Amino acid sequence: MNLRTIITTTAAAAVLLGAATLPAWAQKKGGTLAFSYQPEPSALSTIATTAVPTALVSTKIFESLLEYKGPQLDPQPGLAESWTMSPDGLTYTFKLRGDVKWHDGKPFTSKDVKFSVEKLIAPMHSRGKVYFGSLDTVETPDARTVVFKLKKPVPYFLKAFQPTESPMHPEHILGSLDFSDAKNVRQSEFMSKPIGTGPFKFKEWKKGSHVVLERNPDYWKKDRPYLDQVIFRAIPDGAARAIALETGEIDLAPMNAVPQADIARLGKLKHIQLSNDGAEGLGPLLWLEINLREKPLSDKRVRQAISMAIDRKKVVDVMWYGQGKPARGPLVSGNPLYDKSLKPFEYNLKKANELLDQAGYKRGAGGVRFKITQHFTPYGESFQRLAEYTKNELGKIGIQVETQSADMGGWLKAVYTDWSYDMTNNFTHNYSDPAIGTQRAFVSSNIRKGASFTNSMGYKNERIDQLFETSGVEIDPAKRKAQYAEIQKILADELPVIFLVEIAYSHLWNKRVHGLITNGISMYSNWDSVWVD
Amino acid sequence: MKQFWRRYRKNRAAVGGLVVVALITMIAIAGPYFHPVDPFDMVGRPYSPPFGEFPLGTDVSGRDILAGIIRGAPVSLLIGVVASLVATIIGVALGSVAGYYGGFIDDALMRTTEFFLTIPSFILAVVIVAIFAPTVYTITAAIAAVSWPSVARLVRGEFIAQREREYVQASRALGMPDWEIILVQILPNALAPVIVVSTLMVATAILTESGLSFLGLGDPNHVSWGYMIGVARTALRVAWWMTAIPGLMIVVAVIAINLAGEGLNDALNPKLRER
Amino acid sequence: MLRFILRRLLQLVPVLLAIATLNFFLLQIAPGDAADIIAGQSGHATPEFVAALRAEFGLDQPMWKQYLLYLGKLVTLDLGYSFQYQLPVTSLIADRLPATLLLMVPSLLIAVGLGVVLGVIASRRRGGWVDSVVSIGALVVYATPVFWLGLMLIVLFSIQLGWLPSGGIADVREGNTGLAHVLDVAHHLVLPVITMALFYVAIYTRLMRASMLEVYSLDFITTARAKGVPEGGIAWRHAARNALLPVVTLAGLQFGHLLGGSVLVETVFGWPGLGRLVFDSLLQRDLNLLLGILFVSSVVVVIANLLADLTYGVLDPRIVHK
Repeated sequence: MNLRTIITTTAAAAVLLGAATLPAWAQKKGGTLAFSYQPEPSALSTIATTAVPTALVSTKIFESLLEYKGPQLDPQPGLAESWTMSPDGLTYTFKLRGDVKWHDGKPFTSKDVKFSVEKLIAPMHSRGKVYFGSLDTVETPDARTVVFKLKKPVPYFLKAFQPTESPMHPEHILGSLDFSDAKNVRQSEFMSKPIGTGPFKFKEWKKGSHVVLERNPDYWKKDRPYLDQVIFRAIPDGAARAIALETGEIDLAPMNAVPQADIARLGKLKHIQLSNDGAEGLGPLLWLEINLREKPLSDKRVRQAISMAIDRKKVVDVMWYGQGKPARGPLVSGNPLYDKSLKPFEYNLKKANELLDQAGYKRGAGGVRFKITQHFTPYGESFQRLAEYTKNELGKIGIQVETQSADMGGWLKAVYTDWSYDMTNNFTHNYSDPAIGTQRAFVSSNIRKGASFTNSMGYKNERIDQLFETSGVEIDPAKRKAQYAEIQKILADELPVIFLVEIAYSHLWNKRVHGLITNGISMYSNWDSVWVD
Repeated sequence: MKQFWRRYRKNRAAVGGLVVVALITMIAIAGPYFHPVDPFDMVGRPYSPPFGEFPLGTDVSGRDILAGIIRGAPVSLLIGVVASLVATIIGVALGSVAGYYGGFIDDALMRTTEFFLTIPSFILAVVIVAIFAPTVYTITAAIAAVSWPSVARLVRGEFIAQREREYVQASRALGMPDWEIILVQILPNALAPVIVVSTLMVATAILTESGLSFLGLGDPNHVSWGYMIGVARTALRVAWWMTAIPGLMIVVAVIAINLAGEGLNDALNPKLRER
Repeated sequence: MLRFILRRLLQLVPVLLAIATLNFFLLQIAPGDAADIIAGQSGHATPEFVAALRAEFGLDQPMWKQYLLYLGKLVTLDLGYSFQYQLPVTSLIADRLPATLLLMVPSLLIAVGLGVVLGVIASRRRGGWVDSVVSIGALVVYATPVFWLGLMLIVLFSIQLGWLPSGGIADVREGNTGLAHVLDVAHHLVLPVITMALFYVAIYTRLMRASMLEVYSLDFITTARAKGVPEGGIAWRHAARNALLPVVTLAGLQFGHLLGGSVLVETVFGWPGLGRLVFDSLLQRDLNLLLGILFVSSVVVVIANLLADLTYGVLDPRIVHK
């Protein structure tokens, strides 16, 4: 390390420290933060659904045992003030705070934790099985102690206590429900009139218009939250949301809540801040999912040719208006397990043509080698623009593509229930650990009809299966990282899907708002230290 | 025929309409040879304004808008014409049978017609297209499915007016089969208003198609004018011309077809000319 | 009168049954169901989770059972549960219907009012330049796609001039109450109502003009003229009243058409009404909700027709409702 780097590192550290220890007068109490997202939430607890709008609102009301710091989500004390893990990775003991109260004034205890995990999260939360599938028992030796016993190690177990993943729910209110039928819980009144322990209390929900949360005066963190109110506004039209942000009607448009075309434009305005940080814990990734069951797409060379025919830079610049970057494999570059030695994918039509020639697919009438169909995800215009671009580019290397348009139901059915597709663009998340978001798409045990966001491609590779299995119980971080490096190399070479772009989650906010970006799940955090001028 | 053309020619607006329809048809057929650009190819920088490198500019993905206008013409026209044709055939078939036989058949068919007139037609079209996935065929079928009732009503009325006329009674007395009376005797006499209505229906069908495409229910493999408006909409604040150009094409086409249709009406029903 | 209304209401029953049946079977054909959607949104669902959802919504029952279940519930005005919003369909529709009516009723009134006035003026100056301008204007508006018209109005009045809001039903932040709220909503209503109304202004102008010309040729007008009634009086008091009849009939019939138009207009202006809900529920494949909306909107159309019939009676005293 030479002098220059030392100086810059020190300067950077000073800046970081400065940011962390802002003078107290900077934070102002009071005020309202209004934000919008489409669609409006369907429920206010992630037990009912983990869709984005629900996650955005419910995380201000409900908390979990831990809080997280930084883009890589380092666990911090939350409702649990401390925790320990046994050396074999099978027992986790949490010590709870004693001063936490539910919004109705009743004390929060270990009974609520046991109830939430056993009755709600493990059986009903859409990712409950991933975190708590190996759970053996939950013990509550006293009101402030919870002990989780696992059947086998879960290396990402401490990531389970995010407010979206394991929201703590009050047993004294929900305990009397009939849990034999999930409907009784999902359709209970509680889902639209929630009671949690978080910094904000539910006040009002006018369907089709707004949800109002107000400051919880008895919040366990003294002097928090700063804001008096957090308001969710339902503005169904994307262009209208953009205008609302521009005119100051709303303060925040989180996670690409305005159309891509407007993001860059708004970000240049003097009073608007654009940030693509704060979603590292989600790791959004765009790829072309490919049905590997039949020729010619089952041929690796054909997939490599397709990969070379797509200019990822152009996809980022044109379809996503510059927000995002070309992907190099199955993990986003912000993921702690990302392999930095991966090379960028090449854009080379000539080589693509050669690969197809080698594979034996000669050009026939009209220069067409073969025909395939493609779907596109019904998430928004960029995905349709991408499908149009893919069709056009593949046409140039002699692959004739017919695009089929489907709504959400039709798309899910074609891709995950019937496997009747050839190719589709798809948008997935790594989540805070690849065992949650990545593994499910590539292990052969997940070739299961009817389960969404699974291995629809029919991809089978014993080495990959084995690597995912061993890394799934590997508690040595270094060994686990090596296993994942191998996984990434194999997948980037075999291309069971064509990895395209790390899509940015762009957040836009009015500069009067401060303190939004705190960790890799910033929009799903409780905003207790957000303040407005 | 000569007489028909002479009467048609008198209506100058109708002649103008016909010329424009012919022009658009020519663009649709010959355009791709004079401007051989793929409307889905990214040929330039997105958001280029008109009258620069590209005559009408480029869209949000850097695609040539002129190419879209040219390739969109046959799609919009064909869907309009075919949907109108199918609706006319269904409407004539049901309307003539109902009007000729009367009684129970008439009741049943007219209840069905009323039922279709009661359901909000555009919403029904949206539902049909969405369920069967948008392709050129499903869109055409959906538009036809919501358009036929007005033809059926019209034809039924004409048949009721004609069925007791002497020539029909004479045909019956001669032992002519019903289908022959319907097709050969009455239908030609009832055809004039049907032709007018189905011409005007082409215009409505083009409008409906553009509405469906605008909502994202267009065939993703074909450019249409409504689709172009839907794409350009996100850029409304920065590039309004992207929305304006294809919209103007729709307006011009629909006006032209309407004028031509009214001219037909005048030429085919000289009695009504006075109105 | 009362018996007439009752009879008309009774006639509704088979129509409603037919609508319910058609809707139900149309949507059965659709690929994918609500369980697929919710599972998809959750981003990480096991087959067991999907199966549980399916059972929860009764989607695992045979089709005829689902149909009977649906009809049975319909009788008690229970339109089922929305998968997407986790709310009873009836309450969702009840939430959205007022916004749509708020858009449609003024549009229809303006369209009929302006159409009648323009039609009468054009017919009185038949062949003159006023007639030409009105007729050409009507044709151009008639040929303009309603959503495109809305977008162009936004470009002009919201983006260029900045006079009117480009969307939504009210200013989201202000939280106005009382009169301020009413004015705010009215301000937001201007552009969508103009967009919605213009197309129908064109239709009613053309219809009224033609209808007036027909009435002018009738005997009683000649009689009135002979008696020395001034032309203005003839046009407005005698002719217009009679010429209105077809306009009223059409207005009733076109309520359904108007509802269809509201899908487009509400999409353009982000108006939180039924039309927008139709589209959202379609994309989410929210079966129950869609069935409910189609059902309710058809009922609204039937009621509008009934009202048109009654108005018809008021305008034309010769018609007696027995």
